[in-house]
Amino acid sequence: MYRWFLSLRYLRARRTNWIGAVGITVAVAALILILSIMSGFLQEGRDHLRGNLGDLIVMPNQDYPLLDRTLPRTNETELMELVRANPHVSGAALQLAWYGMLVPDEKNALLRHPIFGDLSLIHLVGIDIPDEYEASDLYENMQPSDADSAFQVTPVADMQEPFAPPSFYTPDGAPKAGIVLGAQLAASWNLRPGDEVELFSLGIDPATRSVQGQGCNRTFVVTGTFRSGENDMDMERVYVDRRDLADMLGRSTAWSQVLIKLHDYERDKVAAVDTLRRSLADSGFVHALSGNDVSDYFKGEVRTWEDLRGNMLGAIENEKSLMGIMLSLVMVVAGFTVFAILSMMVTEKRRDIGILTALGAHPRGVMSLFLMVGCWQAFLGASVGALLGVVGALNIDAIERWLSSTFGIQIFDRTIYLFDHIPSVIETTGVALILLGAIACTLIFATIPAWRAARLNPIDALRFE
Amino acid sequence: MQGTQDSSNAAQRTTPAPAPDASMLLVGRDIRRSFPVGERRLEVLHGVDLELGPGQRISLMGASGAGKTTLLNILGLLDRPTEGEVWLDGQEAWSLTTRERALLRNASIGFVFQFYHLLAELNALENTLLPAMIALPPAAYRSRKGEFEDKAAAMLERFGLTNRLKHRPGQLSGGEQQRVAIARALLLDPPLIIADEPTGNLDSATGERVLELLFEEQESRSTALLLVTHDRRLAKRCERVVHMEDGLVQADSTLTMPT
Repeated sequence: MYRWFLSLRYLRARRTNWIGAVGITVAVAALILILSIMSGFLQEGRDHLRGNLGDLIVMPNQDYPLLDRTLPRTNETELMELVRANPHVSGAALQLAWYGMLVPDEKNALLRHPIFGDLSLIHLVGIDIPDEYEASDLYENMQPSDADSAFQVTPVADMQEPFAPPSFYTPDGAPKAGIVLGAQLAASWNLRPGDEVELFSLGIDPATRSVQGQGCNRTFVVTGTFRSGENDMDMERVYVDRRDLADMLGRSTAWSQVLIKLHDYERDKVAAVDTLRRSLADSGFVHALSGNDVSDYFKGEVRTWEDLRGNMLGAIENEKSLMGIMLSLVMVVAGFTVFAILSMMVTEKRRDIGILTALGAHPRGVMSLFLMVGCWQAFLGASVGALLGVVGALNIDAIERWLSSTFGIQIFDRTIYLFDHIPSVIETTGVALILLGAIACTLIFATIPAWRAARLNPIDALRFE
Repeated sequence: MQGTQDSSNAAQRTTPAPAPDASMLLVGRDIRRSFPVGERRLEVLHGVDLELGPGQRISLMGASGAGKTTLLNILGLLDRPTEGEVWLDGQEAWSLTTRERALLRNASIGFVFQFYHLLAELNALENTLLPAMIALPPAAYRSRKGEFEDKAAAMLERFGLTNRLKHRPGQLSGGEQQRVAIARALLLDPPLIIADEPTGNLDSATGERVLELLFEEQESRSTALLLVTHDRRLAKRCERVVHMEDGLVQADSTLTMPT
């Protein structure tokens, strides 16, 4: 009984004990706060990086022969039947992706970028409607955006026919096919629905590996914009009808990749990639991995959107663990504080230790008495820290705004990041691990002085007044 | 009367001794204690034999450095003798485990120190309750808390500390602190009280009153008392006076108690 009673009494009577608890509070709160914010960045990053990508992307290298020396097959109908037959797949869409340039005209010459000048690199994507809506987030990304969003989406007139020219469009000569642009691209080129825009591209001759002829260009009419949230995509990507693009480029194979949506991405991603790769390789649409000396390269033919954006996601993930490790050092410092405070206390309480031993306390009891003092500090510090950390993470935006307005320093620059708020996600397991870590760390540091207390000779402890 | 045992008898023993007389409460046999001083060892106790029956009152006298406190620590199970045995309540204390010895100390010995040795963070009542808190785990203590508190409070009130129960040691006089220490030593009704110069730090009048209290309690409870003192007058009030000199018992005289 005396251990409970005395440890609480010592904790209450000695103010320095609170310093240890405060140290742990700060460490735990900081760790939870930073890791929540990093998780928030990671999640926002994932949401934005995904852009208009589907769950899986099949991108065969159509120019490289298979093991039997024939080129991969390109039959659209059979390919789509095969993909849709996979039990994990809920939607699939063919795409023809290529690069081109936007050719400026008189109207937007004033707005041209001073460095990039007249040219703007464009990622041309030919799509099928409505397949595309089932395989990617394009449908949602073409809806009107929130009023406070930096780049406003101009929706198309008819979602089922997004490439149909707007009703007010009066063609200059032959009617042109429609084009949907990224919102940032449309804003920087000052393009609105009804405006005509000229695209320029070059094809590569598969046989000679050289540029085909003089290149090709075609004029399209803007029908609307989209916003995926991924800056590069919204700055560079344009959507046109797949047949129009194939026609413009003079391609015989009118697709280059397949976007696939799964029923449950997180659950099925590994199995889906595996089964799709096998069935597509068996049918000769992609390269088999076995027996191929460049199989690592061909792994990229069927992959998840995360594989495609792996570098970016990996970087944020890396930062998160780095921050965690660095902040854990704060915890170690807090542990040292507890160690110092308890060591001082054991020295101060030598006489008490002697008295307790004389009254019949076991050395192990004395040890646990001082361990409990450490324990109280750990529990108190960790629980207050967890509370502060979680409340702080939930209200980080308000806290940042208050700090910024009170001290006049901009802590979070909203123009640098894509988001207009500081993202934070509280991970329950993360918080639990931090709490456990804090308590374990404190107890480890408390063990040394507690052990010293237990080894104290009661005679020496009682000898001096 | 028990024990006018000559130390030379014990010194001649060569084979392990059988268990001592079961009627004895405390038996020390051939106790030797030496301490390392530099590369040599300094022997403080040279083979002390001492027996104490239940309810007996012994005073241990001797000049400073005679080994009184060392002997007391050994008999109080706080210090291990270099050689020899200490039997308490029929058990050889130093052959027990640390835990068993701690339990034995808790149940069988009450200490009264010269410097009171109360815990500064606890009030008088809590200090008195400490042996019970050490003896029992939390659940068992809580179920008997009222009983112990009543007992401790009654004792402190009898000792004249009625208005001092909630006072911390720093708020009590020396005499009051020593009375709290005596109450603490008596709480679990141990068969043996060990008092190391309990009045050494008090003025004579206060010391006298504290001692009266200690003797009264000892008599009414039939507790054995081992008292270390410099004061001859005080020693005369004990049944036996043991004189120590240079780490040996020089004289062990039985007195006739004044009636």
